[in-house]
Amino acid sequence: MRWARRVGSRWLLVALACAGCSSVRPWEREALARADMAWDPDPLDKALHQHIQFSKEASLDGGGAGGGGCGCN
Amino acid sequence: MSPFSSFLSIAALVVCALAAPIRALEQGDAAPAFSAPGVAGGVVSLASYRGKVVYLDFWASWCGPCAQSLPALERLRREFAAGDFQVVAVNVDHNTALAKSFLRRRPVGYPSALDPEGAIPGRYGVESMPTSFLIDRDGIVRHVHRGFRAEDEALLRERIQGLVAAGR
Repeated sequence: MRWARRVGSRWLLVALACAGCSSVRPWEREALARADMAWDPDPLDKALHQHIQFSKEASLDGGGAGGGGCGCN
Repeated sequence: MSPFSSFLSIAALVVCALAAPIRALEQGDAAPAFSAPGVAGGVVSLASYRGKVVYLDFWASWCGPCAQSLPALERLRREFAAGDFQVVAVNVDHNTALAKSFLRRRPVGYPSALDPEGAIPGRYGVESMPTSFLIDRDGIVRHVHRGFRAEDEALLRERIQGLVAAGR
């Protein structure tokens, strides 16, 4: 009985794993193709935010110039 | 292998099997027949174009390269209209109203079938959007074209030219 229960619970897990996966066919990507589904829907806005961050954080890369925290690069 | 890891591998196999890709139609395969309602009303049937060279194009209003391909296909259709050449499109938008409004804004002279359930691209094994199949007069796929870029028009013109000339 305990054996049956163990096998049953494993198959339940398999079923759950299957339910969590779905393959999206190329012609089903309507929702994924929407602009608001993109990582960066607005490239200009992203560049602006990055510029501000690099300046404030004095971080390198991204903008291509080193920042000193002065906000002037 | 412990029972738990064997269980995990079986589970992974099951999941992978479920996500297995469908077989894509290749050069030399017979193009499956279909009929579906057309955007402009009536029925669009592939069988009615037998004897002509057909460029079957799967497109959607949300697909950027598709929008780019439509004017190019319209140019090719006009160019080869006298040579028994026809462009037939299958729209796969879930919301067919989007396809209709798209075509109102950018009208084309070739028929477009509506397939919101995606049954026809499933049978053809469409692997990317857009995908097109150049079908000869006997209904055999002669070229599969995946994606679309502006420079593809010249390549397609060459292939269509070859098929149209071959059947005469």
